[in-house]
Amino acid sequence: MSTLRQLRKLILGETWSLPLGVAVALAVAGILRAVDGHDHWWHRGGGFLLLAFVALALTASLGSALRLRRGGRRE
Amino acid sequence: MAFVLTLIGALLACGLEMLEALAIVLAVGITRRFRDALIGAAGAALALAALAVVLGPVLISRVPLAPLRILIGGFLLLFGLEWLRKGVLRLAHLRSPSSSFKEFVEEQEELESLALPPAGQPDWAGRTIAFKGVLLEGVEVILIVTALGARPGGLAPALIGGSAAILLVAAIGVLLHQPLARLPETHLKYMVGVVLSSFGVFFASEGFGVHWPLGDAALLYIAAAFLAISQLQVRLLARERELAPA
Repeated sequence: MSTLRQLRKLILGETWSLPLGVAVALAVAGILRAVDGHDHWWHRGGGFLLLAFVALALTASLGSALRLRRGGRRE
Repeated sequence: MAFVLTLIGALLACGLEMLEALAIVLAVGITRRFRDALIGAAGAALALAALAVVLGPVLISRVPLAPLRILIGGFLLLFGLEWLRKGVLRLAHLRSPSSSFKEFVEEQEELESLALPPAGQPDWAGRTIAFKGVLLEGVEVILIVTALGARPGGLAPALIGGSAAILLVAAIGVLLHQPLARLPETHLKYMVGVVLSSFGVFFASEGFGVHWPLGDAALLYIAAAFLAISQLQVRLLARERELAPA
């Protein structure tokens, strides 16, 4: 059981906020690609949007670490 | 450009993961017996080789290119962002610095409490700990090398980087554990986080049909963006820490 927990930690990391953030970022990227119009804006600028989504996911995971610290728990 | 970055990414990521595995094997070897530590590590290496042989060809031959890029990008983002998150917290002094030497000492202290079987009898506790340590760290190495190598032209630099890392870490192991204490692990892991996250964004967006300005050289400005964003986060978190009541 502890080995499985360690494997999960190795693949998904220590928090749930980061894998969830990555999943949401990729899902939104998929939706935006699907609704891309004739001007193909996604092909030219979609990468920068994905980069921004991922940066937001990282920031959100750091925010949750900060909240844990404020609650008295150190990572 | 992609060749050099893939090689550096594989070298650093694999090297740092194997360093953690080395800390466990050294702790088992020094505290108990080196023979059992090496048997446990060799068993894990065989299991990992089998995983690599199965995983790489299955991924490349069965999954179509665009979904494969998204899948690989997703994996690299999971690994890279986790390393980056920990790196930011460490640089902002909100988390203990990374140290394989500290892990080695802690592992050694735990092992000293376990009774050693008489000479000539196998030390299953030591073998199991070495096996588990190498296996768990090695799974991440296999996934990172497979992900970096799955891109067209990516296999050679990923394998060269991964192999060089294994040789380098083995050399460190031969030269005993002292160099473990001297490595700037926190900064190295932070840089691995930047490199893997950059590859993650690049691969995933290629899977979604994005064309980056300047082609492969986009990896450089994506890495620069991650560096700038994470350094800003380090500053903000460090300031928050200073302002927070003790």
